[in-house]
Amino acid sequence: MGRKKLKGSFDQTVAPLLFLAPNMLIFGLFIIVPAVSGLRIALYEWSILGDKEFVGLANFVELLDDPMFWRTFGNTVRYVLLVVPLLTVSALGMALLASENYPGVAWFRGAYYLPTMLSLIIVGITWRWILGDQLGIINYVLRTIGLSPVKWLTSPFNANVSVVFISVWMFTGFYMVMFIGGLQAIPEDLYSAASIDGASRSQIFWRIKLPLIRPTMLVVLVLGTINAFKAFELIYTLTKGGPGSSTKFLVQNVYQVAFEEDRLGYASAMAVMLMLAIGLLTAVQFRMNREYSNE
Amino acid sequence: MNRKTGPAQYVLYSFFVVVFLFPVLWVLLSSLKTQSELFRYPLTIFPAQPTLENYRTAFASGRFLQYLKNSSFVAIVSTAITVMINTMAGYALSKYHFRGRDTIFFVMIATLMIPLQVIMIPIFLLEKNLGLLNTLWGIIIPPAATPTGVFLARQYMMTIPNSLIESARIDGAGEWFIFQRIILPLAKPIVATIAIFSFMWRWNDFLWPFIVISQQRKYTLQLALSNFVGQYNIDWSSLLSMTVIAIVPMVMVFLFFQKYFIKGLSSGGVKY
Amino acid sequence: MSIRKVMVLSVLVVMITGGLWAAGQAEADDEVTLTVLWFNDGDESDVFMEAIEGYLEANPNVTVDLQLVPFQDYEQRLRLMIAGGTPPDLARVTNNHVAMFVDELLPLNGRVDDLDGVLAGFNDASIAFATGPEGDILALPTEATANGMIVNVDLFENAGIDILELSENWTWDQWHDAMVQVVEANPGLDYALGYDFSPHRWSTLLYEAGGRFLNETETAMNFVTPEAIDALEFFKMLHDEELVPASVWMGSENPQELFQAGLVASHIGGSWVINKYASDITDFEWAAVRMPRRQIRSSVAGGKFIASFEGAENEEAAIDLMLYFSEPEQNAYYCRETFNLSARTDVEIDYPRRTDDFARMAADLAVTPAITAEDWKSPDLNKIYSYIREQIVEGLLGNITMRQVAQNIHDEGNSFFQE
Repeated sequence: MGRKKLKGSFDQTVAPLLFLAPNMLIFGLFIIVPAVSGLRIALYEWSILGDKEFVGLANFVELLDDPMFWRTFGNTVRYVLLVVPLLTVSALGMALLASENYPGVAWFRGAYYLPTMLSLIIVGITWRWILGDQLGIINYVLRTIGLSPVKWLTSPFNANVSVVFISVWMFTGFYMVMFIGGLQAIPEDLYSAASIDGASRSQIFWRIKLPLIRPTMLVVLVLGTINAFKAFELIYTLTKGGPGSSTKFLVQNVYQVAFEEDRLGYASAMAVMLMLAIGLLTAVQFRMNREYSNE
Repeated sequence: MNRKTGPAQYVLYSFFVVVFLFPVLWVLLSSLKTQSELFRYPLTIFPAQPTLENYRTAFASGRFLQYLKNSSFVAIVSTAITVMINTMAGYALSKYHFRGRDTIFFVMIATLMIPLQVIMIPIFLLEKNLGLLNTLWGIIIPPAATPTGVFLARQYMMTIPNSLIESARIDGAGEWFIFQRIILPLAKPIVATIAIFSFMWRWNDFLWPFIVISQQRKYTLQLALSNFVGQYNIDWSSLLSMTVIAIVPMVMVFLFFQKYFIKGLSSGGVKY
Repeated sequence: MSIRKVMVLSVLVVMITGGLWAAGQAEADDEVTLTVLWFNDGDESDVFMEAIEGYLEANPNVTVDLQLVPFQDYEQRLRLMIAGGTPPDLARVTNNHVAMFVDELLPLNGRVDDLDGVLAGFNDASIAFATGPEGDILALPTEATANGMIVNVDLFENAGIDILELSENWTWDQWHDAMVQVVEANPGLDYALGYDFSPHRWSTLLYEAGGRFLNETETAMNFVTPEAIDALEFFKMLHDEELVPASVWMGSENPQELFQAGLVASHIGGSWVINKYASDITDFEWAAVRMPRRQIRSSVAGGKFIASFEGAENEEAAIDLMLYFSEPEQNAYYCRETFNLSARTDVEIDYPRRTDDFARMAADLAVTPAITAEDWKSPDLNKIYSYIREQIVEGLLGNITMRQVAQNIHDEGNSFFQE
């Protein structure tokens, strides 16, 4: 017994590192190393074939004066502030509907999750088609029943609304699955105890479910925010950033500057700014979570 | 809590099914139309003469089965690896205390914030130097260490009572034994979640295969699909039918794994 | 015991990974494998492979590794390969790409015997596009494209207009009136024209108005001119009067699809649509017609090319194949089967169908001034391609005046010229 105890504490120091090792090895090699290399380029002016010129913080100074950068930054922030709350509420709502085990629930879960299973390009192309002014099925139905068609993607305001809606539509299933996992982890006894005490459905939700899925909520909020800030492929396929640049977000700007204007350093600098923005918001979310957490 | 699910609830659930599924239905119905019917006006919802021609051409292109095989191999193997290493890492980050633990965690989260476009070239160079270009392993291994999966595992495992672990240690159980026989069974919901997500990410992945693979016979389905979007036109018939086919495996994986969301697994006790 | 298990596992993972790294790729030498990068709009890659059959038979040690890349990601792929030191041996490129990759393409001067003789068979605009700023030849032309107008003959007939006759020689004002009439005369028709969402296509109006993007020496922008503003304002007027649907330039709907569905009476696109329409349109009669005149009548030159890159592995074989593919016989075969105008002047292509439409577009191309090619081959102009598009839309939305649009584009372009 004594020998095992000693071995135990050695195990406890080495074990976590071994558990972490496979993931960190792959991660370190394939993500960290390129990331450092890629972000360092923000300090250079670099066009693909060749001359890397060290310019220090010149790219960042240029960014401050760049109207397109701030425009896309503003568009992105507005998008994040709309999508993240809507998505969280929507995902939690669907999870509440689908977390219990009534007959057929598997199919419902599958249906709600299905949009996430489509590739971003397909979703973009399909919705662009569905929402088309002339050839879109929605406007077609509207016309047939005598209502006037809506310019879903053709006015800046509508385009932004459509983009938000489609994003929520697409990713609700994804976060719903996470919430279901979290809800399932709540011990059954708590519910029985609560209903014996006469708690109403609403009280059970606000006093039991919501607090206990806090860890999941943190994941959903953090991941949701990060992914929203990085939105690109879906939006670009839908609107190409249009009309004009009303739905042009940061990553599209990064992409264009890097591959069309051939200024990798400048694009990298934009990515750094993006990271700072996300990092700030994420840190706030973690801090708020810590203040409320019990363990 | 026994709440009977009445017809009213089913109507509500079905309503949401329509909301979420109707574009997919649109894709499905359109895939059964001929190319010329797609852009005929007035539009038709249901195909005038349903045809499987689009599917026939997709399969006849010969390469399609190859792409399917590649995508399946990548998705399955990568998912297996991901589940293993993500849960291990999540466990380490949630149930142990060691120096640098939180730093590692935050660094992982921080890398999520980098748009892949910025590090495409360094990744390409790295994989080239490692000889992983044009190999399926080049798109199986690197993305397997997803920070998201680790994040999910960590959050979930934080809710597992420490008392379980401690009492097992007192009983003389080794660390790996604890992980394998206590933690993992309790973590079935999150394992299932990570499996579903990982399969989907690898199956739908475009950027990683785009960076690594240039030879057609190593193409995944997504790479092949994107080739149907030409310079001026979209080859809708091939695109639609292949999309429908591509969804099927993911649906199957989902239906298989979702049964692990079974309530009552953590009813306070542990059975092993 | 448990820790040992974990350690064994980790070692195994490392070993397997390491073993896979070691299983590198063996390259056979003596055999030449040419990497050819290609993008398709239809089946151009298949036709290419057919066209070079003769070469492959004559050179059995050469194999072609054809890599298809979606058009949208083409630049990305090229930049990745170049940055990685493995540029393709050959690539199909547009004139846009030639301008973007001037520093990376392989100049043919000094590598081809009698280069002038080779070039003699091609038209001037295509040669202009293939020539870099230093005067060296960076690619060989394959197809030439022309911008042009396709009309729905039946719809115009309903308005009492014989569009083929009218378009033989017409002005913008006559064009405008015809469009107004065709919408009025056809009750189900909402719009007269679908215009491709592309600065290159828009520039047809620019050149017809007598304007251009660059100055005479192509060293800076010259876009704030009455001609340019005329073209911009005319375009805006088409939108304001709802002759053109907003959903194309402001909503990403595809004007080709609109035309096919009969929702617009005409379409300004290019010669590449002729084949597609020939296969897809069965409900109405359509034709390519000549462009109307403002100050001049013009199309805009464009084209596709085949090129090699600096540092390509198999330079000699690549150039060989490039030359073979560009010979009159192969070129004619390729253009005929892909329904494209040829960049060569010495081939007569006998299209299986729609010869008249090709002839009309070719006629417009023949009167196109050289400045269209001089402008569009400029790398700096190509860098602001998306910017031009965005600014025009801002003008169409009414957020800024068209004069401001011209000024913005002018300034942005100059910021690249000044480097």
